[in-house]
Amino acid sequence: MEETNFVLLWKEHYDKIDESLAINRQLLKENITQKAEHALQSLAKFKTRGIIAAIIYLILLGTILFYAISNYTSAANYFIVSIGAIFLINVKALYDYIKHLVWINNIDYCGSIVEIQGKLTQLQVSILHHSRFMVLQFPFWTTFYLSDNWFPHAAGSGYIAFQFVLTASFTLLAYWLYKNQTMENAQKKWAKLFIEGSGGKTVIKAIKFYQEIESFKQSH
Amino acid sequence: MTLHNQYDVFLSIIETHKGIIYKIAHSFCRDPDDQKDLAQEIILKLWKSFETYNQQSKHSTWFYQIALNVAISYYRKEKSRSNLNVPLSENILNIADFDHNTQAEQKAFFLTQFLLELKELDRALMILYLEERSHKEISGIMGISETNVATKIGRIKVILKQKFSKTEI
Repeated sequence: MEETNFVLLWKEHYDKIDESLAINRQLLKENITQKAEHALQSLAKFKTRGIIAAIIYLILLGTILFYAISNYTSAANYFIVSIGAIFLINVKALYDYIKHLVWINNIDYCGSIVEIQGKLTQLQVSILHHSRFMVLQFPFWTTFYLSDNWFPHAAGSGYIAFQFVLTASFTLLAYWLYKNQTMENAQKKWAKLFIEGSGGKTVIKAIKFYQEIESFKQSH
Repeated sequence: MTLHNQYDVFLSIIETHKGIIYKIAHSFCRDPDDQKDLAQEIILKLWKSFETYNQQSKHSTWFYQIALNVAISYYRKEKSRSNLNVPLSENILNIADFDHNTQAEQKAFFLTQFLLELKELDRALMILYLEERSHKEISGIMGISETNVATKIGRIKVILKQKFSKTEI
C-alpha cells in the first residue's frame, strides 16, 4: 500500500461517517450540566473503601491515644509516644494520598500530550512516595507495649538486648525501604512486590508508561 | 460571556469537531460502550477546560490536546468504568445507518484495528498524521520536535504497511 493511501483511506472512511454524525443536543446539555456531580462521582470511585478503612483506623488510634493522654501515668510514656508517632505518620500519609487523588482528578488536560501524560504519571507514581512514608512507623510497633514501670530498670539484660535488636532491626528496615522504594528501583523484583502491596498495580503501570514517555521523547 | 452564550459557542465547536471525538473514541476503544463512555468523558473535559480556555492556541490544537490526553488516560485506567449520569444506551453522537461492506471499508476497518494495536502515544501521533495536521502542529500537540515527529511517523507507516501486506485485501 502506498504511503498516501493511509491518509486517503482514513479521510474517505470518516468523511462519510462525519456526514452521518448528529449531536444529541439535549443529552449533551444534560451531560455538561451534570459535570459537578460527575466530578464528585469520579473522585468517589478512587479506592473509596481503602480511604474509609484508613479513616476508621485513624479514629481508633486517635481514641486510644486520647484515652491514654486523658488518663496519663508515666507508665504510658512509651505507649503515648509510639501510638502518637504511628497516628501522625498515618494522618500525613492519608492526607497526602487524598490530596494527590484530588490533583489527578482535577488536572487540566490542555497541554502537550507528553507534558500532561508525564505530569499525570508522575502524580500517580508520587502516591508511592506517600505509601513509602508509611514504613517509617515500623519501629514504633516494637515500642508501644513497653512501660516505664518495668523497662528498662526491671527488665533482664537478655530482654533489653532482645528489645534493642528488635527495634534497631525495624528501624534499619524502615530506613532501607524508605530510601530504596524509588522509581529507579521499581523494576526490581522485591520492589515490585512491595509496590504492588502498597500502591497497587496502577503504580507499576504508571512507572512503565513514564518510561515509555521518556523513550517517546527521544528522536532515535 | 454568559453561561448561555458560552454554551452556544461550545456547542458550535463540538459541532465542527464532532468527527474528531468519534474517530478518537473508535481508535482507543474496541468496546462500543467504552467508545460512548470515552466520547462523553472527552466532551466533559472539553467543557471543563473551555471555561478557562484563553484562545491563544488554535481551536483544533486545544481540541486535539484535550481529546487525546483524555483518551490516553481513559485507556490506561483500570477497567472499572465510572457510571456516568447519561445512560450508555443513549449516545451524544448518533450515526445513521452505514454500509461497512465495501472493500474500502474493510481496509478502513483494518486500519482502525492496526491503530488499536499501536502504543498509546504512537497511536495519538498517527491519528494526527491521518488527520492531515502539519508536522509543526503535531509537534505542538504531542510536545516533541518536528524531526522526531517525522521520524516516528515514518517508522509507524512501515509497521502499518507490513500489517496490511499480511491481510491480502
